[in-house]
Amino acid sequence: MSKQQIAKVEAIVTVRRMGVWLFSAVLMLVLSACSSGTSTSAPGEQNAAQPQQQPAAEEAKKDPVELVMYSWRPEDKEAYGKFISEFEKQHEHIKVKFRSFKSTEYNTILTNSLTSGTGVDIVQLRPYSGATSVADAGYLLPIDDAKGVKDIPQSYLDAARGSDNKVYGVPLSINSAVIFYNKQLFEENNLQPPTTWDELLQVSQALQQKGIVPIAQAGKAAYLLSIAHSVLGPSAYGGEEYVQKLLTGEINLTDAAFKESIKRMKDLEPYFPPDFIAIDDKDAQALFYTGKAAMYINGSYRLETFEKQNPGMPIDILPALAKEKGGETPMINWVDGSYGIAKATKHPEEAKLFIEFLASKEFGQMFSDDLNRLSAIPGVTPKHPLVQKMTQLSEKSMTSYMMLVHFGEGTPTTKTTFEDSLQGLYINKLTVDQVAEAAQASADKWFKPKK
Amino acid sequence: MPVLEKTTEIQPKTSKRKRTNWKKHLVHLFLLPALLFYVWFQVYPIFSAFLNSFFEWNGLRRGEFIGLGNFVRLFTEAPFEETFYRALGHNVIFFIGTVLAKLIVAFLLALLINSKIRGKEFFKTVLFLPKLLSVIVVGFLFSLILNPTYGALNTFLRFIGLEELARPWLGDPNTALYTIILVNGWYGLGFAVLIFLAGLQAIPSEIYDAAKMDGASGFTMLMKMTIPLAMPSIMVMTILTFIGAFETFELIFAMQGSQAGPYFSTDVLATFFYRLAFGSVDGGESIGLGSALAVVLFLMISSATAILLFFFKRKEYEQ
Repeated sequence: MSKQQIAKVEAIVTVRRMGVWLFSAVLMLVLSACSSGTSTSAPGEQNAAQPQQQPAAEEAKKDPVELVMYSWRPEDKEAYGKFISEFEKQHEHIKVKFRSFKSTEYNTILTNSLTSGTGVDIVQLRPYSGATSVADAGYLLPIDDAKGVKDIPQSYLDAARGSDNKVYGVPLSINSAVIFYNKQLFEENNLQPPTTWDELLQVSQALQQKGIVPIAQAGKAAYLLSIAHSVLGPSAYGGEEYVQKLLTGEINLTDAAFKESIKRMKDLEPYFPPDFIAIDDKDAQALFYTGKAAMYINGSYRLETFEKQNPGMPIDILPALAKEKGGETPMINWVDGSYGIAKATKHPEEAKLFIEFLASKEFGQMFSDDLNRLSAIPGVTPKHPLVQKMTQLSEKSMTSYMMLVHFGEGTPTTKTTFEDSLQGLYINKLTVDQVAEAAQASADKWFKPKK
Repeated sequence: MPVLEKTTEIQPKTSKRKRTNWKKHLVHLFLLPALLFYVWFQVYPIFSAFLNSFFEWNGLRRGEFIGLGNFVRLFTEAPFEETFYRALGHNVIFFIGTVLAKLIVAFLLALLINSKIRGKEFFKTVLFLPKLLSVIVVGFLFSLILNPTYGALNTFLRFIGLEELARPWLGDPNTALYTIILVNGWYGLGFAVLIFLAGLQAIPSEIYDAAKMDGASGFTMLMKMTIPLAMPSIMVMTILTFIGAFETFELIFAMQGSQAGPYFSTDVLATFFYRLAFGSVDGGESIGLGSALAVVLFLMISSATAILLFFFKRKEYEQ
């Protein structure tokens, strides 16, 4: 063999080796991708392996662990920093990373994380049907036996149950839909806060004549219309008694009183800001906290926003309107989300410790004090006078946010259909009857009256 | 001996051929990583969407195989049927509007820049600048500009005494979709100008000189020479515009949210898909229906693109 031939053979061998290495590398890449795909796409498998891993986990109990929690409230980041540092003081080996996302994008991000089985340990769950669908899909660990959970009222735990009736989340806070009003503007114009529909119309007319926007309502995001309806609607149909009639099937959403509640939403349009259907909630908030508007309807969670934006602003709240003068003015309440444990978490023990912290009175009190919200944890005394007032009003008379709590199912949900139809009403695409019929047609597909 | 010599001569040739063949296969092996990525990120999602569309879904949990059940629901059941055709109509308007607002304007601008005007490069750069921004940023900026309360456009109209023209551009169902089409046109104008300009610059100037000598007018040259000869770039841009119009999502999502309001007046198939597949803040997602719509969208775009390509190719051959 000549030197030239030897060189050629060597070159061939080298290239062949390179090919084998390259092929091996690609094969490893594929195998590793497949194996990680298998482990992440089947959260149940990991759970099945947990009993075997537990002894090892206990041995390495003090190994540093990082938990990632997801939230749809970026505005709470600072407060959670404080809550988490309290938890970390008690459990030095656990670090909790708070990751927040825009509320409207949260569901998509969470769905992606849960289906891929990566990225999240502690999950903020939408209330009621939102939590049920995630739990039923097998992405959560039940937390019935976590310390503190049993002490939480059953009606609050209902917001975080699966179809198997197990609890999958610690309810976070109780929200109330209220009418915020600027006390100073009312006093300056010698106006009394309204308690009935007629009074609301009179007050709104008087404010408008003074050049003040009566109600800072936004309509670009349709869910705001649904919240406003929950506060204004009882003036037409009453409170919990009517809700129960709907739930038992005695009446449905095409009932005359319910239609009247829709009509009243339309009748209030002249007292909303000009082109309100095109403005964002942030614009509506700004109208209110800058004193250009006298009233603003939304969840009690906006209290903190207003106090941050305009700390000296004299704000008070009104519950839902009464059907007649001196009648019941119920607080419209609902559980605003809960925190659960992702089944695919690699640290179920530590995640449970954190969940137990969230179910503790210590956390509930901090949550209420720092975020001016009503905690779902029993025994928590709100510090803020307005939150105290909401608690007292709730004790006096309370009804649920009907559309969210009882009509939050279907594709699209009946609640979504209703609020989108309200938007259609405001742009004159639908009539009052059509709004009610669209909501009922959506409910007919899934709603089964209680016996 | 001569036989032996012949054999020894043949052997190296055969092994060389083998080596050449082997090297050919090695080349294929180098394509494997790219192929894997393509299969993983392109083929697999399409295949899984096809598969998901044949199953019933309970929230995030896959249920029973239901064949074409999701497709039947999509085309026959309220409110999906009405929403589908309304969204499809908006996609068609979006396509026509974009052709008018972007392609025709871009072609005219490309003609202007291709003529002997000063500052060609400046105009090209200025027109292309919006394309450097993220479409989400563009959507956000225009939401501010078009805000009915403090937006720059209405403020300007009021300032110059045209208050009657000030309106809630994105809140009025009669103007919302057209406003977004115009924003989309503004955003993609520079790219279309560049493509058309490339097509125009490829036309030899001698043809125009000869036509001028024959006494052809500017309009005749445009209709009989420029447009037919620029047909490849027109074809590319029309097909890209068509695909873009039927896939449009980001700008509408950024400006109107996934509900594509007010009351679905800016709803297109992609926003309808988003709501079906991911639901709203309150849930209500249906992966089966969403996948069925994704399959329909895929088939519609691919078949319409094929028809458009066939039509343009035939035009090219005719010329």
